[in-house]
Amino acid sequence: MKKILVVDDEKNILKLYETELQDEGYSVVTANSGKEALEAFEAHSPDLVTLDILMPDIDGIQILRMLKEKKPQTPVVMLTAYDYRDDFSVWGSDAYVVKSSDLTGLKDTIKTILEAR
Amino acid sequence: MESAEPINHSMQQSGSGHENSSCPDDTSSCASEAIRFAKALLTAASDEELFRIICEELSDIFNSDGAALYITQDRDLELKHSHGNAAAFIGWDMSSNAGRAFSENRAVTYSAPPGIDPGSLPLTAASLPLTLNSAVIGILTLFTKKALDSSPVQFNEKDIIMLSELAEIASAALSNRHECNCQNSKSKVHDRAELLKGYLDSFLENTADAIVTTDLEGHVTSWNKGAEKMYGFSHLEAIGQFMPFVPDFLIDSEKTFIDRVALGETLKEIETIRKKKDNSMIDVNLTLSPIKNSTGNVVGISGIARDITQKKKTEKNLLRRNSELSRILFISAAMRGTLELDKLLRMVLTAVTMGDGLGFNRAMLFLRDEKHNVLKGAMGVGPASHEEAWEIWARLSLEHKSLASILDEMDKNPNKKESFVDMLCKGIEISLDSDTILTRTVKAKKAYNVVDIQKEPLSDLELIQQFGTEAYASVPLISRDKVIGVLWVDNLFTRRPISEQDIEFLRIFSNQMASAIENAQLFESINSTEQQLSNIFGSISDLLFFTGTDYRINKVNKAVVDKIGLPEEEIVGKKCFQIFHGMQEPLMSCPHVKTLDQQKAFIEEVEDFHMGGTYIVSCSPLFDKSGALLGTVHIARDITEQKKLRQKVADAERMAALGEIAAKVAHEIRNPLLSVGGFARRLEKRLDNDLKEYAKIIVEEVGRLEEILNDTLGFVRSGRLDIKQTDMNAFIDKIITLLESAAAAKGDQLIKEADEKVSLQIDQNRLKEALINIINNAIQATKKSTIVVKAFYETRPDGLKEGIIEVEDHGAGIKTEDQNRIFDPFFTTRSSGTGLGLAITKKIIESHRGRIEVKSEIGKGTKFRIYLPAQEA
Repeated sequence: MKKILVVDDEKNILKLYETELQDEGYSVVTANSGKEALEAFEAHSPDLVTLDILMPDIDGIQILRMLKEKKPQTPVVMLTAYDYRDDFSVWGSDAYVVKSSDLTGLKDTIKTILEAR
Repeated sequence: MESAEPINHSMQQSGSGHENSSCPDDTSSCASEAIRFAKALLTAASDEELFRIICEELSDIFNSDGAALYITQDRDLELKHSHGNAAAFIGWDMSSNAGRAFSENRAVTYSAPPGIDPGSLPLTAASLPLTLNSAVIGILTLFTKKALDSSPVQFNEKDIIMLSELAEIASAALSNRHECNCQNSKSKVHDRAELLKGYLDSFLENTADAIVTTDLEGHVTSWNKGAEKMYGFSHLEAIGQFMPFVPDFLIDSEKTFIDRVALGETLKEIETIRKKKDNSMIDVNLTLSPIKNSTGNVVGISGIARDITQKKKTEKNLLRRNSELSRILFISAAMRGTLELDKLLRMVLTAVTMGDGLGFNRAMLFLRDEKHNVLKGAMGVGPASHEEAWEIWARLSLEHKSLASILDEMDKNPNKKESFVDMLCKGIEISLDSDTILTRTVKAKKAYNVVDIQKEPLSDLELIQQFGTEAYASVPLISRDKVIGVLWVDNLFTRRPISEQDIEFLRIFSNQMASAIENAQLFESINSTEQQLSNIFGSISDLLFFTGTDYRINKVNKAVVDKIGLPEEEIVGKKCFQIFHGMQEPLMSCPHVKTLDQQKAFIEEVEDFHMGGTYIVSCSPLFDKSGALLGTVHIARDITEQKKLRQKVADAERMAALGEIAAKVAHEIRNPLLSVGGFARRLEKRLDNDLKEYAKIIVEEVGRLEEILNDTLGFVRSGRLDIKQTDMNAFIDKIITLLESAAAAKGDQLIKEADEKVSLQIDQNRLKEALINIINNAIQATKKSTIVVKAFYETRPDGLKEGIIEVEDHGAGIKTEDQNRIFDPFFTTRSSGTGLGLAITKKIIESHRGRIEVKSEIGKGTKFRIYLPAQEA
């Protein structure tokens, strides 16, 4: 079973992603802040990380860099309200999904990335 | 009996053998005939009498059967009097002989072919134009000249010379009579001069341009309010200084400008830098023109500078009256002598001195200079010595020259023009405070005859010393109760005493001439004022025009002519709102209306669709001396470009603010919305029946809100483009395929028109979004109609080639007031939709360095055009 680390500063969103991704057959670990995310990444060695860009403590893009420094092979999917398509810093991520209540897009992206491994 | 085609002979062609001219061959008799004629004319008490006397006297002098006198009315001849047998020939004369003399402005003679019926056509005829200031004021025809044995004879060359001379006298009498009768015309001339002065004053008063004149060394000689305002130096500080507004580093280049203008060149639209009194720099647009004196030499430079750093300068207070500058401008204008006045003066003096029978030996004209309270010598005629006197008179009597031909000769011969007497005369200046015969002539308005200077204590010493005069007479030149000068004569060489009859004749003659001289002076000042005005007008790139109180345009500058695209004659006389606004009544938003109403100056920004742009219009009232409103002066500056620029800045600011708000909104709303929508989806899957339906509603509504957020974010996202060379026809095809079903749902049909192959460099995804927005809008606005999309090239006036994508519908149309706002974010006329579609479209097109335009008419439809830069393949 593939393990996914979901990072978001909103608890409700974590809850939603957790249940939805579990329904898809993944094992889900959640982190509610940048700091928690780094700890969970170390502790659980997820197969994939979904990362919110706007976070109150550490900026999502900084976390992306830290994660990639630690384990460059672990794919990271960036999630945000903004379209960061033109931002160089996001280019380090493996995919980019604009947040939506319709999770189909996210699920498809995760599936594609994991199947490619 | 049918008569043959009449044969016209010009005076050059007529060389018949008949030599019995009624004018004797010697000049003195000719002159005495002329003087007799002039005296006869002076007895006329009315116009009718004057016409009659001219006809009768001339018939008599030339022993002809009849005479007809026509006066120019507009562009036709009007018969004023016919004498003798003339009445029968008027129709023929007007269409033939007189008509030709009129249209060709020369003498025309005629002699009938043999065997003609003398009842239907004259046997001989001569028609002569009556001219004043080289304008034809009428035509005189004499019919059938008779020899001593009463046989009809041809008018010969001598007759024509004689007739020309008499016609000149008749013309003078006619014009004088006209002046006397028609006070109106004179006051009109005056009014016109005043009006022109008023125009110039008002212009100088109103203009925000700095108008500065300097001498050739660059020292300021005049400085208007605009210059004070622009440069900060007051009038007092600037006058006499070396151009204080030239920054040190530009002095050398400024001197080369001066050198060029000194050679007569006019330098237009120079963009340079000026220094203000507080040492700050301003950019100006400069025009430099030479100031010429009467002899045509450049004596100074006038510079008109416009501050182009602060373009809204005109909105500031109107400049106050600057009489100083206008006075200087007018002095220079007045200094320019015109040939017409010179010629008139010489004509007067030549008339007084010609012929040894009644002519005086020498004559001089002094004109009164009210400003300096002096009498100034204007012109002198006469021989310098006894030897010269005899020589001249001997030659004159040999040559039989007419007054006009002598004048012409004088014109061409500079030696005579600058005769010794003339030179001496021009150097004379007599103060009107002194008490001499000449000054008394002015003050007492009467003629004096100094029979012997030894016995007259008030004799003018200067004249005695310089001209050696021993006895002389002086008569005042009176025009409208004002003495404008003095005519002086003597008979030094013949020593003929001046009789009381001579004085009487001089007095009448000088009165006749005074008004002519004053008129000539007036016309001269109008001419130079007009010249001055048109010089300044030419240098002003603002639209500048004058109107009367009835909105009729009196005068426009070159900028107006260029802008309107009609010749000046077709603009002047029209109502200003017809020309400038294309309306049949005044435009209420134009300050003109308020200026006429309140008689005060107003400045407004006027948006004009007819002229296609935005203008700052300053409108100031123009008053005559009595304070009555004459009309208005308008200065309009095209600020369309500035306004567009301002609009762009405002747009950019609004976008930036919007971006910030959008970011916040996205952050604050997106996440909670995501939870609501996400969980609702989960519920929807698990619930049944009604509850499932309710959950579905939540999902759909959240979906709609998220879409708005996507639009908002799409709007603020940064714009790096993925540019690809794209075949626009194929591109449009794809979009039409996408939207076909949506159009079909409303009964609409999407049609692509492809007349030419168009290939542009575009970001396909973004431009697709832009076009979809536009076409969607068209679909919304239309029902059961067609929407046409096409792409083509167009070349702009500046030569730039553009690719255009046009979407045209025949739907509801967009209200005029909404047309400017449809591209504003959140502006929508539909009940649904975010109001961001067209704003995003505009942003996408601008990021392609293109532009979008809309033309729409309510009930007829809308046409959107996207202009994109096209690269030459």
